[in-house]
Amino acid sequence: MSEQPYVIEMRHISKAFGSLQANDDITLQLRRGEIHALLGENGAGKSTLMSILFGLYDPDSGEILKDGKPVQIKDPNDATALGIGMVHQHFKLVECFTVLENIILGAEDTTLGFLQKKKARERVKALSEKYGLFVDPDALISDITVGMQQRTEILKMLYRDNEVLILDEPTAVLTPQEIDELMKIMKNLTAEGKSILFITHKLNEIMEVADRCSVLRKGKYIGTVDVKDVTKEQLSEMMVGRPVQLQVDKKPAEPGEPFLEVKDLCVRSISHRDKLAVKHVTFTVHAGEITCIAGIDGNGQTELGLAVTGLSKVESGHIYMKGRNITKDSVRKRAEDGMSHIPEDRHKHGLILDFTLKENMMLRRYLEPEFQNHGFIRFDEAEKYAQELVDEFDVRSADGVNSTARSMSGGNQQKAIAARELKHKHDLLVAIQPTRGLDVGAIEFIHSEIVKKRDAGAAVLLISLELDEVMSLSDRILVMYEGEIVGEFDPKKTTVQELGLYMVGARRDTKKGGKA
Amino acid sequence: MKDFFSKLREKPGFKSVTSSILCIIAGILVGFLVMILLSFFNDRTSIGNAFQGLLVLLGGPFSSGRGAYIVTNLGDMIFYATPLIMTGVSVAIAYKTGLFNIGAAGQFLMGMMGSLLVALNINTNGNPTLGVLVWILAVIVGAICGMLWGAIPGFFRAVFNVNEVIVCIMTNWIAANIVSWVFGTMPHLINSGSGKSGYLITTAVTGNGTPTLGLTRIFKGSYIDAGIIVAILIAIIIHIILAKTTLGYELRACGANRDGAKYAGMNEKRNIILSMAIAGGLAAIGGALYYLNPGIEFKFDSAYGSLPDYGFNGIPAALLGSNNPIAVIFVSLFIRFLNVGGGNLPSAGFNKYIADVIIALIIYFAGFSKFFKDMLSKRKKKAEAKANEAEKAASAQAAEQVVEQTPALDNTEKEGDKS
Repeated sequence: MSEQPYVIEMRHISKAFGSLQANDDITLQLRRGEIHALLGENGAGKSTLMSILFGLYDPDSGEILKDGKPVQIKDPNDATALGIGMVHQHFKLVECFTVLENIILGAEDTTLGFLQKKKARERVKALSEKYGLFVDPDALISDITVGMQQRTEILKMLYRDNEVLILDEPTAVLTPQEIDELMKIMKNLTAEGKSILFITHKLNEIMEVADRCSVLRKGKYIGTVDVKDVTKEQLSEMMVGRPVQLQVDKKPAEPGEPFLEVKDLCVRSISHRDKLAVKHVTFTVHAGEITCIAGIDGNGQTELGLAVTGLSKVESGHIYMKGRNITKDSVRKRAEDGMSHIPEDRHKHGLILDFTLKENMMLRRYLEPEFQNHGFIRFDEAEKYAQELVDEFDVRSADGVNSTARSMSGGNQQKAIAARELKHKHDLLVAIQPTRGLDVGAIEFIHSEIVKKRDAGAAVLLISLELDEVMSLSDRILVMYEGEIVGEFDPKKTTVQELGLYMVGARRDTKKGGKA
Repeated sequence: MKDFFSKLREKPGFKSVTSSILCIIAGILVGFLVMILLSFFNDRTSIGNAFQGLLVLLGGPFSSGRGAYIVTNLGDMIFYATPLIMTGVSVAIAYKTGLFNIGAAGQFLMGMMGSLLVALNINTNGNPTLGVLVWILAVIVGAICGMLWGAIPGFFRAVFNVNEVIVCIMTNWIAANIVSWVFGTMPHLINSGSGKSGYLITTAVTGNGTPTLGLTRIFKGSYIDAGIIVAILIAIIIHIILAKTTLGYELRACGANRDGAKYAGMNEKRNIILSMAIAGGLAAIGGALYYLNPGIEFKFDSAYGSLPDYGFNGIPAALLGSNNPIAVIFVSLFIRFLNVGGGNLPSAGFNKYIADVIIALIIYFAGFSKFFKDMLSKRKKKAEAKANEAEKAASAQAAEQVVEQTPALDNTEKEGDKS
């Protein structure tokens, strides 16, 4: 075994948070120049393991070896000194700094104490061109989309010439084209001798890019396999512990009355207030139908979602629900009229991170008589309700319903939001990236719940960047490009390739989406 | 006993309380060091004076020597804590909504103005029942003035996103000037007797003073009145509102995540204004309760030049109390306790202003409460890790005897679903 040149070896790592054993005797070996996927369900302990390697947590026991020598990684500075870089699942960016400032933060080039931004800018430019990670170096982080923030994070690591790269679900927010690009970058990087630890739920990506794959389940080490020797089904079974349905199982839709009608809608862009992000969009969602808006991140889907759910104002146009004009209705009015909403950004909108899970589960229902009595919150009812949701959706956390949302892993946070919104009685579900950051087991469950809602007669507006999800879940696909609807498709009669052409603007149906 | 402590440790409030107490101890220790240093610089004092000073300071009202003074000092301590409780709770409720109410001083003044305009303009001398009614009216009018005053920074924050700190500072000075001007136009309210100038008459003249409910019979010769009961009741009510009601839930949600609150269908603009209005009303009641005491005079002619320190002292009172209204009651009483003790420091050979220095030190250390809190969390984690390791060592020994459990490294371990 000693002749095997492992660049990183983690031996018998254990780590507990309170009563939750996040890592239990885990061993992970990363060969030089390989892409090693780390696969596991939400809360399986992948992020914890990587945080230990990056020096964010101290392991309770176990040792880490770099190039065969035991090392102590006490904080991220140690990790950086050893050439280990990490892109976190939740970005660590300074919101009020520009992209460039974020990239050089902590690795600034200075002369006599003055920042050498010009040099840095050129390097960043060269890197972003080389890898096709285009970002505006002078845009503020708070102004750019989640997708672009991700790109900034990846650039940040590339800028530091790290040797071992940890990518914590890097593709969760990228478009199919961007993912292809990233895959290419990853292969290039390993060709140059860098080693990549790649945390993901997406089996397709593992099959495509990884050399080996280690699987964790509920904090325990299950095994390491050569990717070329296994199938997707085998991998998912290793991960979940049972066979998993990878395709959504659903009956053909029986569309009913038009439920949500969007007419000639225009919405301003979040990052550039003087521009329109949604341009004269018209579409209808029928009861008993899952209508999906597909497209590359940043083509107006975010703004469309915010406008439909009432979180932002519309510039012009109208939104009708059950034939009633709701364009100017408040968020609460829309919710009371039967709109559920799984938001795109779970930290910004979906959760009050400093509240407990119990308090978060009643976030949109606290005024209902079930949860309050003359203005006094019925905490016992809230706890009972939260416990029900937690049990049904298998939301895992250290202290159950009394854990703060902040302490939970991203996947479990997402599950909590999905549980809350799916259990809320509704006729219209607006689901934006509903399975972002979830593992196949949880995706299967959430998808089947959404289909159940549809079969019960609810209208579903799905906004997703994941083409797999778009193809398997929706009954009707609308492709959005630069703020306009450029095509309508039946998922059974189209292909990913065809959708891709519309998504990048290479083709469009002139009759749809207003001006062409 | 050990069980009791470990259970206590589990309580969420434990860390807050302990860290506040650690802040206080650290502040007192540094104050003690200051006294030791000072005792060397003075020919008449030695290190023994520093110990004596510490005892005097910690003795509070009880260190005044003669027994008869003790009850008076206690009564005054409670009376002077009353406005502090109100401004402390005012800062705390705004903080829970994510706002920094540095405008408590101005709100305090507006409350004083509203209440005195009522209480000094209506003469009920000789009719105690009517006096109480006018007193209640005065407190309410004062509270309304403060609510409106507090709503101003709230409004600017909610609608125009102007930082509330800036608007609060401006409204503070505007309030100070308004107060001087308003009473300057009312010569009939000016106390022309006793050789003083620039003072208003007190509620002792008009008979609308805060009822004492017999408290002065216990605390003879002190200023104490029913204001403290009002303040404690209000603090408890605010605590219940924050912790148990939908309104408190909304205010806390807005404070923790404004976008999240919006997503939940809350009107976050309304909540910001409401929170600042409530905060303003609370600080104003503090001003009303203070100046409605028949023994307290207001010097109006210089009011424009300075802001009442009660307004600002509410900030450390809230901080030391971790923004918990109930804790603010105790913290306010404690700060006053030290003040009284500090007043007796000359008996130990120190200048009495040293007491202010030491109180200021404690208040500075209030800023360390998060530091102490983190320290406590780390200690807890370490203890847990130790326990875990011990447990693991024990279980590992047991496991070794049963079967060797090395994970197969480079190939799949077949494992049935155990869960």
